[in-house]
Amino acid sequence: MKKEASMRNEKRTERILGYSLVAPAMLLILAVAIWPVIQSFYYSLFDYRLNDPTKSSIHLNYSLDLEGYLQNYPFLKSSLKREMATADENAKEKLSDVEQKLQKMDKTIRANEEVANRYDQVDEALNNFESPSDDIKIVELDKQAANQFTDAVHDVVKTLEQMRDAGELKQPDKVVGLAQGLKDVIIEPNFVGLKHYKDSLSDMRLWKALWNTTVFTVISVAAELVLGLAIALLINKAFFGRGLVRATILIPWAIPTAVSALMWKFLYDGQNGIVAKYFEDIGLVNRMGDLLTTDIGAMFAVIFADVWKTTPYMALLLLAGLQTIPSSLYEAASIDGATKWQQFTKITLPLLKSSILVALLFRTLDAFRVFDLIFVLTGGGPANSTETISILAYKVMFSQTNFGSGSALAVIVFICVAIISIIYIKLLGADLLSDSAKR
Amino acid sequence: MQKKAGPLFYVFLAVFVFFVMFPFLWILLSSIKPLSELFGDKAFNWFTSHPTLKSYVSVFVNYPFLRYLWNSTVVATITTVYTVFVAAFAAYAIARLEFKGKAVILGIVLAVSMFPQIATISPIYMFVKKFGLTNSYLGLIIPYTTFALPLSIWLLVTFFRKIPFDLEEAAKMDGATPMQTYFKVILPLAVPGVFTTSILVFIAAWNEFLFALTINTAEKYKTVPVGIAMFQGQYTIPWGEISAATVIVTIPLVIMVLLFQRRIVSGLTSGSVKE
Repeated sequence: MKKEASMRNEKRTERILGYSLVAPAMLLILAVAIWPVIQSFYYSLFDYRLNDPTKSSIHLNYSLDLEGYLQNYPFLKSSLKREMATADENAKEKLSDVEQKLQKMDKTIRANEEVANRYDQVDEALNNFESPSDDIKIVELDKQAANQFTDAVHDVVKTLEQMRDAGELKQPDKVVGLAQGLKDVIIEPNFVGLKHYKDSLSDMRLWKALWNTTVFTVISVAAELVLGLAIALLINKAFFGRGLVRATILIPWAIPTAVSALMWKFLYDGQNGIVAKYFEDIGLVNRMGDLLTTDIGAMFAVIFADVWKTTPYMALLLLAGLQTIPSSLYEAASIDGATKWQQFTKITLPLLKSSILVALLFRTLDAFRVFDLIFVLTGGGPANSTETISILAYKVMFSQTNFGSGSALAVIVFICVAIISIIYIKLLGADLLSDSAKR
Repeated sequence: MQKKAGPLFYVFLAVFVFFVMFPFLWILLSSIKPLSELFGDKAFNWFTSHPTLKSYVSVFVNYPFLRYLWNSTVVATITTVYTVFVAAFAAYAIARLEFKGKAVILGIVLAVSMFPQIATISPIYMFVKKFGLTNSYLGLIIPYTTFALPLSIWLLVTFFRKIPFDLEEAAKMDGATPMQTYFKVILPLAVPGVFTTSILVFIAAWNEFLFALTINTAEKYKTVPVGIAMFQGQYTIPWGEISAATVIVTIPLVIMVLLFQRRIVSGLTSGSVKE
């Protein structure tokens, strides 16, 4: 009994140790990988643009930009006073009406103690020519107050514009300008729900990008598999200079994709590219320039560069798989009179199946996520003919600075990748994760 | 299947190696051509009669290329050391200790390694921007964790599993605690695996492009891949300099690959082959 208890105790400490050793890594992964994906999804539900000050962060509620407000309201008030001093009776009445409206609005804003407090802080900062921080200057409003504010500003602007047109103001541009400035201080919630997805999915550019990505993935991975398998079968024997060949194979894999893309850009160049010239010589393209300036040429160029870079890697993975097949199987088969082809289809392929699937899984995912190669080699051109979904998402996020819509595209990439992985893992079975330590 | 290789085989091999190496060869030849022979009718000559090192000098004089190399080295080294350190503990636990949920944890690690970078970039970009980490080394090291950590864990788990279990049993019999077993028995045996993992993580971090492109945009903090890619100006592309820079970054890689090819191959194939 005692022994059993100590065993149990030991199991417990082992378990606790296990969890505590795994915890730091898992927490890091949660923080830097899983959380951002969830946030990407969250961003995708908002109209989130970095180049638009009222949309440059996420707002679930209506809020008021006190900085903007206080840069306009006090000046508007004093300008109105000055106008009133010189205006005739009729205009004076209108102006005092406007003033009252504004004052009432100001009072409503300051009714809340917390807001009033911040109001003073921002005012003080502005008087000292400092710019107040976001945490202080943005205050939340309820929808009703926000609507009241907007309506009041609207009325004020309308009245002042009418007065301007009637020539009743001395400094018409200044007064109207200040009043209009108040229009921008209410920040509306930029939650848009699934609108970005709806827009993206009905945009031809997304479907074109998805199509390009699929074409690139299917053709390059298929070519890499066939060539890689052929090379693996051919070099699966003892020969002189094995190490050297292996090193040669690893170099294209090891150099940065961006650098190899640039290298190919030079080789494909329409005027001075040696590969472009050879392709023209053997009749693969009509003119050297076609390679990077026509739709099909560019796609072919990108796929060819990818095949060059990753076929050797594929061959290595498959070669490792081949080397685990016992040679006795082939000997037995040839004694039974099986042809080479029969040996290939009956022994090699079935036993290589899991190696092939694993290699295909990683390659398919890599190809589907492709970014560096195309970004540097063609930039997605000509006329978006090599624009893949990752490139499109990048452009929307960082060139158009539209993080909401770009995040929606990123989530679409994520979902596609998830679907591809699930399909492969179903095919592989639990093989990939099985705890081989248990054998 | 240890068949003997015939002469035809070596011909095939030579052709294969030539095809794989041709782009590098051409870049190497172009890097020593004078500018006038990079364009026009002399562009297709294999060998130049006026070899020059002008492009190499220009890379260092006209571009902050040394700075790029340094940035890449710092970022890739720190990323490698810290992720492999964290991953080694986790991998040991997953490979060697009994506790529930191991398959789930490994599943999460594998799933995260499949995440497309583009799906994490906007929140990470906002994060580093908020904390003023754009154009800093930390601004790249943090996002690099997203791919470096799962990769390290995945590789190390396969290496740890290969170490014979008898040793651990023996240590246990002698009364060693799991941590003592880890440091005294397992870790020394795992050194080759840790080394291999480090090489692969280093290469992955060295080659990373998307995060480096978006986060470190200042000339002073650019890494090698982004730096070279941005050599191309709006209208002209300095092919001579690009060729020279490519040669410069490829040579250390060639040396590394020649030295460690066995390890790299064992690392690349460890996850995919069931022995």
